Amino acid sequence: MSSEQIDSSSIRDKVDRMINRTVQRSVKGLDFIRSRKEPVGLTPKDLIYERGTLRLYHYHSNADEVYRIPLIIVMATTNKSYLFDLLPGQSMVEYLLNKGFDVYMIDWNDPVQQERHLGLADYTQDFIPSCIEKVQESCGEEQVSILGYCMGGVLSTIYAATHSDGPLSNLVCLTTPVNWHEMGLFSRWNDERYFDVDKLVDTVGIIPGDFIASGFDMLRPAQKLASRIRVWDNMWNDDYVQSYRAFDRWGSETVPLAGEYFRDTTKELMWKNKLHRGELEVAGKSANLANITIPIMHTIAEHDHIVPVAASRPLLELVSSEDKEELVLKGGHVSLIAGPNAVKRMWPNVSHWLAKRSV
Amino acid sequence: MSNNKATDPAQVFGEWVTNWERAVNSFSNKLMETDDFSRAVNSVQNTQLQMQKVFAEMMAKQLANLNMPSRNDVLDLVEAMHALENRFEKMEMQLKKISGAMEAGTKTKAKGPARTKKAPADAKK
Repeated sequence: MSSEQIDSSSIRDKVDRMINRTVQRSVKGLDFIRSRKEPVGLTPKDLIYERGTLRLYHYHSNADEVYRIPLIIVMATTNKSYLFDLLPGQSMVEYLLNKGFDVYMIDWNDPVQQERHLGLADYTQDFIPSCIEKVQESCGEEQVSILGYCMGGVLSTIYAATHSDGPLSNLVCLTTPVNWHEMGLFSRWNDERYFDVDKLVDTVGIIPGDFIASGFDMLRPAQKLASRIRVWDNMWNDDYVQSYRAFDRWGSETVPLAGEYFRDTTKELMWKNKLHRGELEVAGKSANLANITIPIMHTIAEHDHIVPVAASRPLLELVSSEDKEELVLKGGHVSLIAGPNAVKRMWPNVSHWLAKRSV
Repeated sequence: MSNNKATDPAQVFGEWVTNWERAVNSFSNKLMETDDFSRAVNSVQNTQLQMQKVFAEMMAKQLANLNMPSRNDVLDLVEAMHALENRFEKMEMQLKKISGAMEAGTKTKAKGPARTKKAPADAKK
């Protein structure tokens, strides 16, 4: 076959593919516009405890035998927990259940105005301990492991630091900010010289989800439009579109924050950097990270634009645990949990690390 | 190979979108990390909050003149109910603890799969 023949057949293939995809884009594009929200969080679960903004779920185990120590996932306070259970096959919860873990999830409802006074102390000294008690009742085991994501990781480390003699056996943190002076643009925008957090909290009571979402969007202003262009380009690919719609839904359902919690976070963590300095006190207890002695694993995303590596990396340097492990993975703040690299590397590594410590 | 990439319009378009996204993000981030940006944004926000506060106060006065409860009055009532709910919840938890302790000091294990799974053989501490 001559090179001219190869070139012409190759060009014909490309033209055929382009025409085919253009037709599919038009047909599937209409479905895309008309379709409802992507169903997410489909792994069966029971709501076993609910109090205001707090929700505790227990996922149905599909194994004959599970590890002795249950795992509680603490979701970030700004987002819905179904990021961990996005779609079948793209669900960390499903993966952990298949590996034999008994999985619980602390999720957050939108707080209402009467919950505007909830602060860091309520989340770390009341909500997490109450959920642990419920888990102990539910499964009959004293010890628990916790996996905290982003601010869920911050709450979990504060809980661990203030309950060093508690039932917590293992702690896994995912992209958890510790050095808040390294929080990039968030640190700049919340500069105490210009940002009047008291005025904001005293006026609105609850920090609206839109306000928080616009902060995240401003970190990468072109991302949303670029993602929409990419989804149009990939409209012929059903898996791509389904995954995009699930992530897009998750990104648009930002959870509002209790005002006092936002004030605490801004003043104690962002401005005074007390968690990093070992000076944080919550409900009169020292939340020095050096109080943490249990096995701890920290997974960091190399290209995290929300919690930069410099903000999260100091965690393991500050704890006193002898058994500690850091895992740095390629990917961003969200893809770390449910992206392709999560499926290949993060989930197996976390599962492997927890398995040997959960018997 | 490089010729194939250059002649594939989809790939060229995809690369162009990625480069455009990076350029816009990078430019915007440089702009937004300045003191001037922080000062301007927070100044606008403070003005909006001030207006919101004044409007809320005016509305509260009007409602008081009409002998109607304001939003804060309703929120205070909700808060009182919320406090009661919390007290009930705590009492319920205490009662459960007491009844649990009375069960001969042993905890009844919940139904479910056996909690006997061993770590995989290759998992060494």
